[in-house]
Amino acid sequence: MTIEQKVPVTILTGFLGSGKTTLLNRILSEEHGKRIAVIENEYGEVGIDQGLVINADEEVFEMSNGCICCTVRGDLIRVLGNLMKRRDKFDYVLVETTGLADPGPVAQTFFMDDEIRNEFSLDGIVTLVDAAHIDQQLGRSDESSEQVAFADVLVLNKTDLVSDESLDILESRLRDMNRMARVVRSKQAEVSIDTVLNLSAFDLDQVLKRRPTFLEPEYPFEWTGVFSLEKGRYELSLEEGPDPTMSLVVLEDQGIDEAALNAGAESCVRLYADSAELLHPGSAVPIEKHVSLQLQSNGRKSFFLELDHPTHIGLFTQHTAEEFDIKVSRVDTLITTTESDGKNDALVQPETERTWVAEHEHDDEVGSIAIERIGDVDPEKLNKWLSRLLSEKGVDIFRTKGFISYAGESRRMVFQGVHMLFTAQPDKEWGNEPRHNQLVFIGRNLDEKEMCREFDKCLV
Amino acid sequence: MPGVEGFTPQGMLHEGWSAEVEDYAIVCGWILGGKALLVGDVAGGLYLFEGKSGTPLWQKKEVHKGGLLALSIHPDGDIFATSGQDGRVLIWNSEQGESTNVIELGDGWVEHLRWSPDGGFLAVAFSRRVYVYGIDGHEHWKSEEHPSTVSSIAWSKSNELASACYGRVTFFDVARDEVNQKFEWQGSLVSMALSPDGDVVACGSQDNSVHFWRRSTNEDSEMTGYPGKPSQLSFDQTGTVLATGGSDVVTVWSFEGKGPEGTVPGQLSLHAESISSLAFSNQGMLLASGARDGAVLVWFLKSNGYGDPLGGAFAGELVSAIAWRPDDCALAAVNSKGGINVWNFKMRTKSSPKGF
Repeated sequence: MTIEQKVPVTILTGFLGSGKTTLLNRILSEEHGKRIAVIENEYGEVGIDQGLVINADEEVFEMSNGCICCTVRGDLIRVLGNLMKRRDKFDYVLVETTGLADPGPVAQTFFMDDEIRNEFSLDGIVTLVDAAHIDQQLGRSDESSEQVAFADVLVLNKTDLVSDESLDILESRLRDMNRMARVVRSKQAEVSIDTVLNLSAFDLDQVLKRRPTFLEPEYPFEWTGVFSLEKGRYELSLEEGPDPTMSLVVLEDQGIDEAALNAGAESCVRLYADSAELLHPGSAVPIEKHVSLQLQSNGRKSFFLELDHPTHIGLFTQHTAEEFDIKVSRVDTLITTTESDGKNDALVQPETERTWVAEHEHDDEVGSIAIERIGDVDPEKLNKWLSRLLSEKGVDIFRTKGFISYAGESRRMVFQGVHMLFTAQPDKEWGNEPRHNQLVFIGRNLDEKEMCREFDKCLV
Repeated sequence: MPGVEGFTPQGMLHEGWSAEVEDYAIVCGWILGGKALLVGDVAGGLYLFEGKSGTPLWQKKEVHKGGLLALSIHPDGDIFATSGQDGRVLIWNSEQGESTNVIELGDGWVEHLRWSPDGGFLAVAFSRRVYVYGIDGHEHWKSEEHPSTVSSIAWSKSNELASACYGRVTFFDVARDEVNQKFEWQGSLVSMALSPDGDVVACGSQDNSVHFWRRSTNEDSEMTGYPGKPSQLSFDQTGTVLATGGSDVVTVWSFEGKGPEGTVPGQLSLHAESISSLAFSNQGMLLASGARDGAVLVWFLKSNGYGDPLGGAFAGELVSAIAWRPDDCALAAVNSKGGINVWNFKMRTKSSPKGF
């Protein structure tokens, strides 16, 4: 008896104008050797060039029991039911939903319908985000934030239309909403086909390989500016801001690429853990020390940096430069004597800037909660808690993913969920690996502290 | 052996003939009074075989661009209709295999076709509407738009047509353009069967249940507990029992007495995999069932829904359709690999009074 491979399916979501059709055409025109069938709900102006394309009107079927997890997409069942009779004609399916589609029923169709489940496997959900408009969309519609919440891959598209800074802010906002997803940036949906197809996003090992932890590192600082400075004396000046003090760490030899910024951030996290030394205006700022700038008096306040050699200075500040109007200027005494006003400030622009996910920034209703704990869990307690949680909050929990160490079980238990549909399966042997638990919930208005507390009660 | 009685009748599937078509065979039916077997594959191939020998009589390629979706044979067996993904319905002459009429409905799939019992009308489900044509292909009537794609159609009388879709079953008088009756229920109805007396409407539902309505009393009830969705439904011709799929067991509801509400259904279990097709014989209580693994079984049912297997055979792959010959002396099954099997069905209705 042969075990036939299930046909993988990628769901492509995103608001109208986010670039789904462009991406679809790109995939279909690329030489990848795959025969792709496309199910389209949106009749875009741009025609699909190639492939087996089937148009179908979106039909959301709710069941009489009112259970949201039983809601499926009738059009997909119909079309896929027919497609599976032609499976020798294609080896991949792409489902393009309308901009307003709720991804829940689309995903659930692959778990709820017995015939579809036998023939197809949901490979991943890809959501295209229009970088220029998503901010407004997220505020206006539930569908938009749900599409972000359900995604395995978020393609941040049309990046050429917005500044790098707003992209960084947008990316951390999206990551805050969905910590499970991989974020890819693109201009005109130019992403490699591997980012969209064969994701095995429902294969937990693949997911963990990409993201070993679902815990988003949260930093005690919000902004970093790197300045290339000559030997000399510099003034760091600040306006009054929202707080009377602001913490700061200054690093030397700070690089400007992503890896160097992350390394700098890591060492700053450690320095921030030390208690801060209060620094009054007019003082010199020490290097690699956690200081708290005292900013209570009126007007602009100045602090000083003395450099005896040229270097790249990294400022890691508790708040953004914008909030306090942080400026770095050269105040070279040798030159000032020749100037009439006795002062020559040469404003130095940062070589690079970036913002970090701050600890307190959880503005969106939709967010991710990650629980990572060492040790074993009592299966009975966990099941009780999870069934209660999903029956009470299932509507608001979009995706669940992770693994658990059951006491007395030599294998790790893998958890997957879409709304209330939940599966737990034994996976690989723990072997010598230290026993631990890693779970992420993506949902709306979830109470992180409460959920962590409840999980901790399940630990043995 | 006193106290033990062999059930009667007994029957057997005897090897008849087999053949192959090019793609996944999705429909089959006996035409020309049982003299020939018509088979359609998913790619739009149509094939006619001589009924006794399996000799190919004619074949057509890609009669519907994109693929074939439905077949309905006219009650007199001389003509039939096909429809497909090309948005067209074709009416064919059985003997010559010539298409005599073409009906163009537009862009979309034409998924369901049914000739009326007297053969006067052809009902066609296209997206959210149902159309009725005369035998010459002229449009006679069309429905309003349904709230979702029509999932099943059936004639209750020669001028009354039922349609099922998400949340609704509607009975239309197609002669007077009126809605005779409407049943609403929040659920996705995936299949529909009407009892021969027209009183009972049975629908398989996406939420793994079978829903019944009684037209005379407007009462409804729901049979739950299926592991899968019951896409296969078949009433015997007296309307006493309804056989349903939705699992590897054939569940049979009996309408005797006050049933099926509050009764335990017959459970015919012998299949190893889920039921993929069901068909009652034209006369009597013989039921043929086909499964995903290619097994075909014939059962003899009692009026209470319980039954016993009479014979079985293996057709190789998922059994996509089963058809009894009009005289019930042969059974055809087609499968997902394009295989066609015809067995002769022999039955003795009386056990020998004298033994051997």
